[in-house]
Amino acid sequence: MSNTIILTSSDNVEIPVDREVAERSILIKNMLEDVGDAAANEPIPIPNVNEAVLKKVIEWCVHHKGDPPAAADDETESRKRTTEIDEWDQKFMQVDQEMLFEIILAANYLDIKALLDVGCKTVANMIKGKSPEEIRKTFNITNDFTPEEEEQIRRENEWAEE
Amino acid sequence: MASHENFAEGSTRRRWSFKSIRRPKSSSVSGHDAPPRPASSDLAAWPELADSAVGNAWSRMCSQGTQTPNGGDGTQESGNVCLSGPRPRRRSSSTLSSFASSFRSAVRRTSLSVRTRHLPLTGHNPPQDAESNDTTYSKGSGRLQRAGSVSHHQRKSLASPSLDTTLEGSSLSISSTLVNQDSSPVPGNGSEPPKLPYDPSRGAAARAAAAAQNELLNFGRVALLKSEYLQDEAMFTRDSESGIGVDLRSPLDDLLEPSPEIPRKDLLAHFPTEISAHILSYLDVCSLARAERVSYAWRRAARSHHVWREVFHREYRRRPADQTLNSIHRRFGGEGIGKVVPDQDWKRMFKVRRALETRWQSGTAAAIYLNGHTDSLYCVQFDEDKIITGSRDQTLRVWDIHTFECTKVIGAPVPSAAVDAPPSPLQPGPLTVKTRGDDNSSQSIQAFFNVNPVRTTPSDYHKASILCLQFDDRILVTGSSDSTCIVWDIQNDYKPIRRLQQHTAGVLDVCFDERYIVSCSKDSTICVWDRHTGKLLKRLLGHRGPVNAVQLRGNLVASASGDCYAKLWNLDSGLCIKEFRSLERGLACVEFSEDSRYLLAGGNDQVIYKFDVNSGELVTTMRGHTGLVRSLHLDNANRRVVTGSYDMSIRVFDYDTGELIVSFPGWTTSWMLCAKSDYRRVVSTSQDGRALILDFGYQLDDIHMLEG
Repeated sequence: MSNTIILTSSDNVEIPVDREVAERSILIKNMLEDVGDAAANEPIPIPNVNEAVLKKVIEWCVHHKGDPPAAADDETESRKRTTEIDEWDQKFMQVDQEMLFEIILAANYLDIKALLDVGCKTVANMIKGKSPEEIRKTFNITNDFTPEEEEQIRRENEWAEE
Repeated sequence: MASHENFAEGSTRRRWSFKSIRRPKSSSVSGHDAPPRPASSDLAAWPELADSAVGNAWSRMCSQGTQTPNGGDGTQESGNVCLSGPRPRRRSSSTLSSFASSFRSAVRRTSLSVRTRHLPLTGHNPPQDAESNDTTYSKGSGRLQRAGSVSHHQRKSLASPSLDTTLEGSSLSISSTLVNQDSSPVPGNGSEPPKLPYDPSRGAAARAAAAAQNELLNFGRVALLKSEYLQDEAMFTRDSESGIGVDLRSPLDDLLEPSPEIPRKDLLAHFPTEISAHILSYLDVCSLARAERVSYAWRRAARSHHVWREVFHREYRRRPADQTLNSIHRRFGGEGIGKVVPDQDWKRMFKVRRALETRWQSGTAAAIYLNGHTDSLYCVQFDEDKIITGSRDQTLRVWDIHTFECTKVIGAPVPSAAVDAPPSPLQPGPLTVKTRGDDNSSQSIQAFFNVNPVRTTPSDYHKASILCLQFDDRILVTGSSDSTCIVWDIQNDYKPIRRLQQHTAGVLDVCFDERYIVSCSKDSTICVWDRHTGKLLKRLLGHRGPVNAVQLRGNLVASASGDCYAKLWNLDSGLCIKEFRSLERGLACVEFSEDSRYLLAGGNDQVIYKFDVNSGELVTTMRGHTGLVRSLHLDNANRRVVTGSYDMSIRVFDYDTGELIVSFPGWTTSWMLCAKSDYRRVVSTSQDGRALILDFGYQLDDIHMLEG
């Protein structure tokens, strides 16, 4: 079954990829199951993801090819829901914000939960520990609160900010 | 050995001296540690969640707040306000001695007493300009909830087939906060503030002005204030075009942001709601609170119930690795993670839980005494509805954990061990308020009111002290000085099912799971019974002294004995597979960690040993008690070890570090014989004939939300 399939990106570039690797994507896996082996030689259109992003996603899937399947929603999963990211993934995610966001959207669309998690954790780490103003700068957000409103929210959440 | 004496009821000493009540040390730090809690009016001052069902729920909470004392009224009244049932009369000036005498006369009544330490219900200023926000948030919040389930904010280029049906959410941008909401002014009612109509022009102007102000002040540069900043990607380069070059970023930011030329986007505008929520749910509460102050859109996203549910569960939900242990775990009180219901306000729950944890750390608790037994209370267990205690007076009592009323007495028709006449149940007792002489801030309020428990005389009952008990939702098993155990049917009015007879001396501890009942005795043996038939399956022999405590985990049994050994037994083979020795003297109590990796044991060495089950090595010694450690409870979910000692104190240790968190000396007048805990309270029993509840959640706003 070590066959190769072809994915077509949104900008019409055909990318050959190991079937096993591509099946990290639940979307593609289900698709392949639905069409059956006969049609598996046809290129699969991925209309929401462009070449650059798709290649990046495939790079991630190749690296994580041998990962054990995700555990069910149990205690270990809950404990893992910290923002710890393993070293390779951290390096992998050292891309500009545009690409990072595209990877997250692609992981969401392709249904690659582990990659979505890593992407979201990376963004969460960009928010963590920052003041509101620093967050605004990081994501280019205009503050539309009046000072009074902001102060009111600060007071309301005083308990959480320790 | 002292531990045996007590088990053997050798001691009839009673210490009524009130000299021994000392103010708990930790009370001095209780005042400022708890975070300020909003007054009940605060609930109503933020009707931004007034959308649909949430609003109703909140309104209900608000109106409850006015009816019940939990709604945040004064601190000083805390003693008497929480009691349901007949409101007691109140005498406000009793001296220590008159209190003591009234206490003596009243202590044998079936009654309730409440002693509370001052609870720092710091007032919270109501929001000042709530009216300008209310309706705005209301709309936004409602939209977010809808958007959270079905809608996506999509960029057109990325519209996927599966998402096409949900374009409604594409308006989920800052502009959605400006949606008109027409309503007439509604005058305030009770604790609710008046509802004022939403004025979009005013709000928008204020926001625009604020935005302009903020840009100028904070960035120190000329900024473009056009409203299309979100969708216009060209705008993202404006930082580098400003030419002023003021850079307020920390070095950390530079690491995260490769270069200012990289377009930066508001992730909320970029992602579908569920991805934004996914991202935010990885944040800690502090970061989440700060994120709320970023902008209107961020506030909506960062306070969504979905995000907070994740955050709450990550922090407080602990599922045991083995699901079969779950029922055992639950039987010790509640989990404190509330109910999963639509629109559950997880943020508010988190806040309560946080406040509760602060109280645990600072040792701030109300003390509630359950009076009724006429002699020492040897054992206790509780769940979210009831407390069951067993006593030297040969009876079991069932108490309502919310009203503290004794609802049932099970035992012989006439209390054969009664020293005094039984209480007159219809005669309401006096309420005594006692203020500690050395510290006015530590108030002790003893409230006695009449309750009329049903006294049941079952077909079979213990004719000697009840030394130990355990229950689940179906059965209650008790062990007694009469050398037997009785299995009771909890679902059928505590009817006795059968008696387990084999031991030749008092049954000192008992435990059970779905298959087995395990009992241990002063006769140095451990018996294993079939839970369903009562048949004796095995006897575990090897201890050379009274076996004071047993615990059951799967096919392992842990035991602690006066012979200085804790032993681990394999149930299948019936053999002892490991031994753990105390330093010098006998062991009185034992606990098995939920993962079966560690064994805790305490006893006459006045310390708690933590052994590694695999290596047999001593990992930690928890110190602090100055008397025999008589009982030990591990609250695995909250990583707390709660101990009761002959030094008359209850102590709470950190399970992971072994450090003493807080100590409650002098809250009882005699030996602490048993103590169990859950997320909000310690329920303990004493030789002085009372059960003592240390309620860390007493009068904490919204504490009821944590009940399962």
